[in-house]
Amino acid sequence: MSVVIDVHQVSKHFGKAKAVDNVSFQVESGKIFGLLGPNGAGKTTTLRMINHIINPDSGYIHIDGKPVSPISQQRIGYLPEERGLYKKMKVFDQLMYLSQLKGLTSSEAKNAIEFWLERFDATSWKKKEIAELSKGMSQKIQFIATVAHDPDIYVFDEPFSGLDPINSEMLKDVILEEKAKGKTILFSTHRMEQVEQICDDICLFSKGNAVLKGDLREIKKSFGTNTVLLEFIGNPQFLDELKNVRINNRSNNFAEIRLLENTKAQTILSTAMRQVEIIRFECVQPSLQDIFISTVNEHDPKSA
Amino acid sequence: MIQNRPKQHKEFITLSKTVETNYPNALHDPIIMNFAKIWLITKREYLTRVQTKSFLLSTFLTPLFIIGLMGLVIYVTVSENEAPKQVVVLDETLRISNKLVEIDPVRYIPSDESPEVIREEVLEGQWDGYILIESDFLSENSTATFVHNGAGGISFYESLRSDLRDVTREIRLQDNDVPQDIISIFEERPSLENKRINEEGIEEDSNAFVSSIAGILIGVFIFIGLFGYGAILMRSVIEEKTSRIVEIITSSVKPIELMLGKLVGVCLVALTQFGLWIATYAGITVLAAPVAQFFITQRMGSVSTDMVNPGMESTSVDLSFLDQFSINPVFLMYFFVFFILGFLMYSSIFAAIGAAVDSEQDSQQFMTPVMLPILIGYMLNFRIAEVPDSTFATIVSLFPLTSPINMMTRLLVSNVPFWEVLLSIVLLIASVAGMMLLSAKIYRTGILMYGKKPSFKEIFKWIRQS
Repeated sequence: MSVVIDVHQVSKHFGKAKAVDNVSFQVESGKIFGLLGPNGAGKTTTLRMINHIINPDSGYIHIDGKPVSPISQQRIGYLPEERGLYKKMKVFDQLMYLSQLKGLTSSEAKNAIEFWLERFDATSWKKKEIAELSKGMSQKIQFIATVAHDPDIYVFDEPFSGLDPINSEMLKDVILEEKAKGKTILFSTHRMEQVEQICDDICLFSKGNAVLKGDLREIKKSFGTNTVLLEFIGNPQFLDELKNVRINNRSNNFAEIRLLENTKAQTILSTAMRQVEIIRFECVQPSLQDIFISTVNEHDPKSA
Repeated sequence: MIQNRPKQHKEFITLSKTVETNYPNALHDPIIMNFAKIWLITKREYLTRVQTKSFLLSTFLTPLFIIGLMGLVIYVTVSENEAPKQVVVLDETLRISNKLVEIDPVRYIPSDESPEVIREEVLEGQWDGYILIESDFLSENSTATFVHNGAGGISFYESLRSDLRDVTREIRLQDNDVPQDIISIFEERPSLENKRINEEGIEEDSNAFVSSIAGILIGVFIFIGLFGYGAILMRSVIEEKTSRIVEIITSSVKPIELMLGKLVGVCLVALTQFGLWIATYAGITVLAAPVAQFFITQRMGSVSTDMVNPGMESTSVDLSFLDQFSINPVFLMYFFVFFILGFLMYSSIFAAIGAAVDSEQDSQQFMTPVMLPILIGYMLNFRIAEVPDSTFATIVSLFPLTSPINMMTRLLVSNVPFWEVLLSIVLLIASVAGMMLLSAKIYRTGILMYGKKPSFKEIFKWIRQS
């Protein structure tokens, strides 16, 4: 697999604040790469640098072995976290403008826009101004603006935030579809469950640092089968009595329990059996959320 | 391949160090710009702006306003010639009225009626007023009285006074047996013709008053143009920033390309509007003379039949005052040069301000220092129209922040040496380049900064950092 995006020892400061600190990762061709981390971890800054919107203070970013440039910009489809379009401009004119800025000729742009508008059942909105559209509709238009120039690389910043379930599902389908076509997709999110569903590789960001990166399955495997999923009927108070565990996901009839030190899963089971009726007991790999929390804690114990 | 990369990187850094330190991507950020993309931005900006209601309204209402204004000027000029005023002369000396009638048989109507009767008639509107000259007027040097219904105005009153003075002087001179040649000395009216000399040394008729008014007006016009369109540009930048579309655009073009495209777009909107206005204006001035002549002849025709006075028909109206409205093409060219340069200068500052703030309210703090120089230039303009060749006028018309306004005024009011105009343009071009470079630095940082309003200190930091 060849490396498409190569982020090498990149740092970026804003005034005294270090937004990105000596970060390196590589995105391989044809994969879905997830950039994870809480808000303010430096994901957006990194994506902006990959898009050549801002420049790193030090380090470099290469796309297919060449430094980012107006040429690499044309190969990327970028969906920023803060969505925006010209409110007073008609849908079709707007898409034409943005596609042509990405280097399409006007006839290429026209064909591509027609195709995507059809794909999203949006042909009838052509002459409407963005201000007239609903939020869900303008999200679709925004997405067309990102993909119309048929880029080989997609960079999505928090693509699922603010999407309704239908659009969210549709976006997931398109992402998988584009991957099937051999496109490379890099996206950032702070919602772990999406990453688990679609990512091949991940990079965890915390406070401007890349604290963990690699193949998602490998990473999960390396953390071992040290998590217990417990579903039960009864008083969940017994959970508080457990020692040397961390309870990540907890409700009145469910708990995701991470075993710390040498705690045995059997101990949990026997404690639970004495107090509640057990419906499900399963030993699994830790969730990404859990991996993330442990990694950040290791990296910087105070930030937990 | 992978081993190779760091080496490439090292070479790359070395190369780019010479371009710009601490800025690894500098090599791929050359000053070379993508003009096809700038053109796309310009086109969008232009088409969006010319389709707005405010553009259409101001473009088409202003000529109407100009037409109205010129119509008013013509009307005032014409109406003075139109309905001749009639004044009854109640002359107790019996010597003055016939001489007044000699001067103007239409205006002066001698009468023997009592002042009370005439007063009634004036109130009824039959006459415009009456002059009462008492019997001792000539001997005692007393005052005659002009009683009127309020119509006429100062120039009419002045002409009555001047007629009465002439007649009185003539009678007195005659009474004292003053020789004829001395009387003719008194009757002489030396005139002063007002001519302005131009570059080629050819004298032209000029009206100093009109040109200084025009000089002030052109200053006002440029001032409003620079600020009106500067504000439009600033609003457009703020709109892109607050709607967040700027992030999508800067993932396709460089911030400086975006800024330039917008500047040129708005500038073309301004030029379109001015072009339309000038075309309308030129059309009006060409048409004005025949139209005015047409109305005058019509009025004269109706007046002369009413008045039983065939002498009036030969009266033609002097329309040469309309020449003052014509536009000198050289001047027009200067106007565009100074406006475009002034626009680029101020609008690049406006673009930078728009990029630095999140809303129009926040822009106030930065607007004040920007407005200061041009406001000073604007206010000085009234003084410059009076003394266009003073040292002070020369300095402000060379200083790039005020020259777009002040040089234009000087050009209209006085004959500015060509080298001064040239120097002013060169200085302006140099400052425009510098200002745009500076503004571009603020712009590229500002458009991606959301949230808090930056201080001046932070803006200086942006300039130093980029």
